[in-house]
Amino acid sequence: MRRVLTSLAILFAAGTALAHGPTPQKIDQTITIRATPDAVWKVVGPFGGIGAWHPDVAKVEATGGDGAGAVRKVTLKRGGTLVEGLDEWKGAERTYSYRMSDPDLDALPVSSYSATLTVTPDGEGAKVEWMGRFYRGDTGNEPPENLSDAAGKEAMNRYFSEGLKGLKAKLESGPQR
Amino acid sequence: MRRARRLFGLAGLALAVGPADAGSVWVASQQGARASRIERPDGAPAAEVAVAPSPAVVAAGPGGRLYLSHPDGRAITVIAADGPTLQWPVPGQPFGLAADPGWRFLYVGDWSGNRVLRLSAETVAAAAEVAVGPDPAGLTLGANGRLYVAEREGRSVGVVDTARMVRIAGIPVGDGPFALAHDPVRDRVYVANVRSNDLTVIDAGALKPVATLPVGASPYGVAVSPDGRRVVVTNQHAGTVSIVDADTLTVAATVPVGRYPEGVAILEGLAYVANWFSDDVSVVDLAARTETGRIPVPEGPRTLVAAQTAPVSAEAGG
Repeated sequence: MRRVLTSLAILFAAGTALAHGPTPQKIDQTITIRATPDAVWKVVGPFGGIGAWHPDVAKVEATGGDGAGAVRKVTLKRGGTLVEGLDEWKGAERTYSYRMSDPDLDALPVSSYSATLTVTPDGEGAKVEWMGRFYRGDTGNEPPENLSDAAGKEAMNRYFSEGLKGLKAKLESGPQR
Repeated sequence: MRRARRLFGLAGLALAVGPADAGSVWVASQQGARASRIERPDGAPAAEVAVAPSPAVVAAGPGGRLYLSHPDGRAITVIAADGPTLQWPVPGQPFGLAADPGWRFLYVGDWSGNRVLRLSAETVAAAAEVAVGPDPAGLTLGANGRLYVAEREGRSVGVVDTARMVRIAGIPVGDGPFALAHDPVRDRVYVANVRSNDLTVIDAGALKPVATLPVGASPYGVAVSPDGRRVVVTNQHAGTVSIVDADTLTVAATVPVGRYPEGVAILEGLAYVANWFSDDVSVVDLAARTETGRIPVPEGPRTLVAAQTAPVSAEAGG
């Protein structure tokens, strides 16, 4: 990471910042699933269980279960590892919140993010919302195209969208509804 | 530009029928590129001023003047009490702002330049600078001309003697100090540490931390009531505010607000909280310890300031 930032600073001489000064970006995606909220939460709720439903995930190493401070290291199939820490997990409300621990621009071209995943009833089925806040990969004033706000938005939207689609496919095709 | 003028016209009209010198709260909306004035805790914004893209921090200056920083745009916006909105170029990535009560200087943190600039409050010309710790976030002025700087990646609060523009101390705090506020009654500085989820209490006279209080996830904003008795901390990731009793240094209440609460300002017993994600401002009654209302504002509200005088007068409508 440090090496990446150093080379960026040399390449673009634009004063890359280690953390985030400029404009945070919103992400907010929802999907409806033909399954009960409890059935959905059983799959999506376990913090270390993201490998069971997110199609982009190759491997997960998790510690701490679903307690605040738990950590999951999510290795993606296309490369890169997301290290994420759990802030809050509320089983009764079917929601958990987590944030990035260290940036990995190979995994997602963003320098910081936090997110919340929530399952609510929706008619006979369930609605899953995955929302959050992030900063672009290079928070300096002249980010290269691959570390811009637009690049961060595209990558985060794709990651959240693929995850929710994978979750829906798993729940709607399985033997248990 | 045309739109800005039209908004100014609206502002003028609104203020002409409102209480001219009552206190009000201004909120900076980053995506919406607006400064909005809230006069009543139960109503819509009374005025809106269009500014350059992506304002982050709003501060109150001399004579009802407002300053907004644009870290992406290398600029400061100045909204004068009796004139148009002006934009001033500022080097670096201007983020944190503090205007001195002597009305002479505006201090500006340069996020990626690890320095604080001192600008003339009148002309916004850079007059001096001082090197500080990495990623200066919030700034606040205390007693004896001291400026406190939340050095986010330094786990420290830098203390600058503004008379000499020298950093005289670095006080160790929690992980990821982002926002801070000075209490002149007890001469304390309260520091919200985003990553360690706690609030550091600094004895400003002794330049030492005296207590650390756990609050909610990602404390991102902090404000002190004028009497110094209550400290309000926004917990950005938890969607709550913690109300801290300054005498006992305990959390007296945790109140749910909107999504991603960030900046906070206190006016007349009410805390106004900028909910960045939900695009509104929560009003929290500090005595009742409950949210009493939500005021919709332009997209991406990040910071607020309580101002005692009207920055935009009716004459601004021309």
